[in-house]
Amino acid sequence: MIEIGIEIEYLPYIITVLLIASIYAIFSLGLNLEWGFTGLVNFGHVAFLAIGAYTTVLLNLSGVPLILSVIAGVALAGLCGGLLGIPTLKLREDYLAIVTIGFAEIIRFFLLNEEWLTRGPMGVHVSSRPFEELIPGDYNFFLFPFVLGVLVICYLLLEKLVKSPWGRVLKSIREDEDVPASLGKNVFSYKIQALVLGSMIAGFAGSLLAFYLQYINPRNFMPIETFYAWIAVVLGGSGNNRGTILGAFILWAFFSGTRFAQGYLPFSPTQMGALRILFIGLLLILIMMFKPEGLLGKKEELTLTK
Amino acid sequence: MPMLSVHNVEKSFGGIKALDGCSLEIRKGAIVGIIGPNGAGKTTLFRIISGFEKPDSGTIVFNGEDIGGAASFEIARKGLIRTFQIPKALTKLTVEENLLLAPQFQYGERIWNVWLRPKDVKRQEAENIKKAHALLEFLGLLHLKHEYAGALSGGQKKLLEIARALMVDPKMLLLDEPFAGVNPTLALRILEWLKELRDRDNENDGITIMVIEHDMPKLMQLSDYIYVLNKGKVIASGAPEEVRANERVVEAYLGGA
Amino acid sequence: MNFANFAHGDFLALGAYLTFVFSAILGVHFIPASAIAVVITAFIAVCCDYAIWKPMREKSAGSLTLIIISIGLALFLRNLIIFLWGPDIKRYDLPVKRGIELGSVVITQNQIFVIMVAVICMFLVHYLLKRTTIGKAMRALSDNIDLAKASGIDVDRVIRYTWAIGMALAAVGGILYGLITNINPNMGWFMLLPMFAAVILGGIGSPYGAMVGGVVIGLAQELSTAILPTEYKQAVAFFILIVVLFIRPRGILGS
Repeated sequence: MIEIGIEIEYLPYIITVLLIASIYAIFSLGLNLEWGFTGLVNFGHVAFLAIGAYTTVLLNLSGVPLILSVIAGVALAGLCGGLLGIPTLKLREDYLAIVTIGFAEIIRFFLLNEEWLTRGPMGVHVSSRPFEELIPGDYNFFLFPFVLGVLVICYLLLEKLVKSPWGRVLKSIREDEDVPASLGKNVFSYKIQALVLGSMIAGFAGSLLAFYLQYINPRNFMPIETFYAWIAVVLGGSGNNRGTILGAFILWAFFSGTRFAQGYLPFSPTQMGALRILFIGLLLILIMMFKPEGLLGKKEELTLTK
Repeated sequence: MPMLSVHNVEKSFGGIKALDGCSLEIRKGAIVGIIGPNGAGKTTLFRIISGFEKPDSGTIVFNGEDIGGAASFEIARKGLIRTFQIPKALTKLTVEENLLLAPQFQYGERIWNVWLRPKDVKRQEAENIKKAHALLEFLGLLHLKHEYAGALSGGQKKLLEIARALMVDPKMLLLDEPFAGVNPTLALRILEWLKELRDRDNENDGITIMVIEHDMPKLMQLSDYIYVLNKGKVIASGAPEEVRANERVVEAYLGGA
Repeated sequence: MNFANFAHGDFLALGAYLTFVFSAILGVHFIPASAIAVVITAFIAVCCDYAIWKPMREKSAGSLTLIIISIGLALFLRNLIIFLWGPDIKRYDLPVKRGIELGSVVITQNQIFVIMVAVICMFLVHYLLKRTTIGKAMRALSDNIDLAKASGIDVDRVIRYTWAIGMALAAVGGILYGLITNINPNMGWFMLLPMFAAVILGGIGSPYGAMVGGVVIGLAQELSTAILPTEYKQAVAFFILIVVLFIRPRGILGS
């Protein structure tokens, strides 16, 4: 009897971890399109997650149908991505990194301060979730397969794209943009396209995250979220969509592992949190230095010298 | 009407004049060689014609259109394609992918077509692959089609670049030292092939070629006309025999030494 | 090395925290404590060069790879600080001295000290770049690295010095900042955007441009608090940055 009880308690936990990992996998696929395939450094990916989540929830709260709210969130995330690309993508490569990291912070301050719109640090409750009234019992048992389905569709659509002539142009930009330019490709336009599409994917992941969280506040969108995506991408292998998904699942397996380890270590929860991010930083350095192709990437396809 | 006319182009870098009122004209279907000592401004001229650098002043007219100051991709779309002195093979793509990148306005270069018109994309891709294989076959690179271009030798990369430029079906080619590092037998074959491209019976299909080359004998053999650059200016021009006999040219090459 | 170093702000925080450790915890007088902190920060920067940047130079890694490593280093340092000294705001326990009244404005002695040190640092940087051999080598390197190599400059040594001096200045900045407000693990993070905005506004590679840019951004941020909530200081830096990128991406003094 007791053993059965434990199993029943573990299952929702495992489902929850898999659900979060799937949402982050989608979020990371957006970054992989930007960094892995195009070579764009976006350090503010979390901004688009936040834009997607807040737009969906706030619009739905004010009476807009759920599906339209999600579409609006995705569109707004894409629009912001494109707007950030315009002043930066024709200039030095590191300007995008600087501008995106700043943008993400400003979005977070905006969410914290504009209480008339976002209710500030109090956060907002999600008023409705897809098919909620039709699902008996634990909603996550429905949401997980739903998100998994979205992940698979995103993966398939992206794979189709990166293996197409469009993806070939992105890869050529990643290596040396003089070449596509000398062959008549509008490099700037392709970079914007990659940034917009990557941001839209992050925006969609934001809507899904809101459905899971049921209640969102600015603390859900701290800068570190961006670097969870970075770890997923570089660990799995930059420019490899399967690798990115694998990376996201490994990351969340690691997080749930450390949650169990917490009881055995003499550190406070704050220290454990710091250790976890410290480890993320270290891992990022070590992968870029010693295994830049990640777990599934091919060394021959990786550009390190740009 | 000339295919390309460059008029009084000037360009300085930090006070140093790389081009100092450079003018030249290239007739349709001609193969024109550019020679000159190091630092004469040959590569700068190429960079400016191909839009990788903006001229300080002067005009550049290609095929009747003013292209001075246009972006490099816009110039390429008009059919003026360049290669690079140090070959820029995309080493992380395969040899075949390098060639498939080149054709203009592919269906599959648009996101919506990739998702919604996969058949058209596939059909066009198959045509391009056929064309690419024919080029690779001619250059003796076909067996390497699935290798990463990073694995090619320097000479093979040069060939790949010329082939890639030809995949575009250009009206005019700018070749920056196409024979450097290519083995002599193959170089001769390319030379013949370039002439053949130019001489294609249908007059509209003949390519105009402008080429920088240090290998004098080959350049003399290839070109109909030669411009000699020194210190950012054209100091002499004419048929290969004339240029060879020109004292100012000899002086430019030997005088300074 | 010519890449955006995202760990710069965290070296700044590190300098401030080391000063805190020596002065407030170990009881060393504030000035020597600061000096020790600056030296240790510079030393850590040189260690990072040996451990990370030099091997990456040898692999001729591109700026994008270096940027990503630098943000990894930033996360590492910041959370090391949180792990060791906690996430809360800290202050140097210095005796409060009376301010000087200038009309309606009161300037504290700390503020005067900060301004003096800042001015001295600017002159030192100027002297270093214009008069010393190592400074001239730095300028040569930033102009044209290949030419510098060819003329027999020991590139690795010059870069090590650049790191040491750059991060020492960051540490001084952090200590001074801590003196007029407080220190916290995120102080470097919040200064990162204004710093980049200052450098780009001034013109990348121009130390004098960076000084001018720093003053402009700092003033704009402080003046903005008259009409905007203080939380939007970052947004002011961001806005200036975007405008600069649109109008004059080379910066005021950039070539």
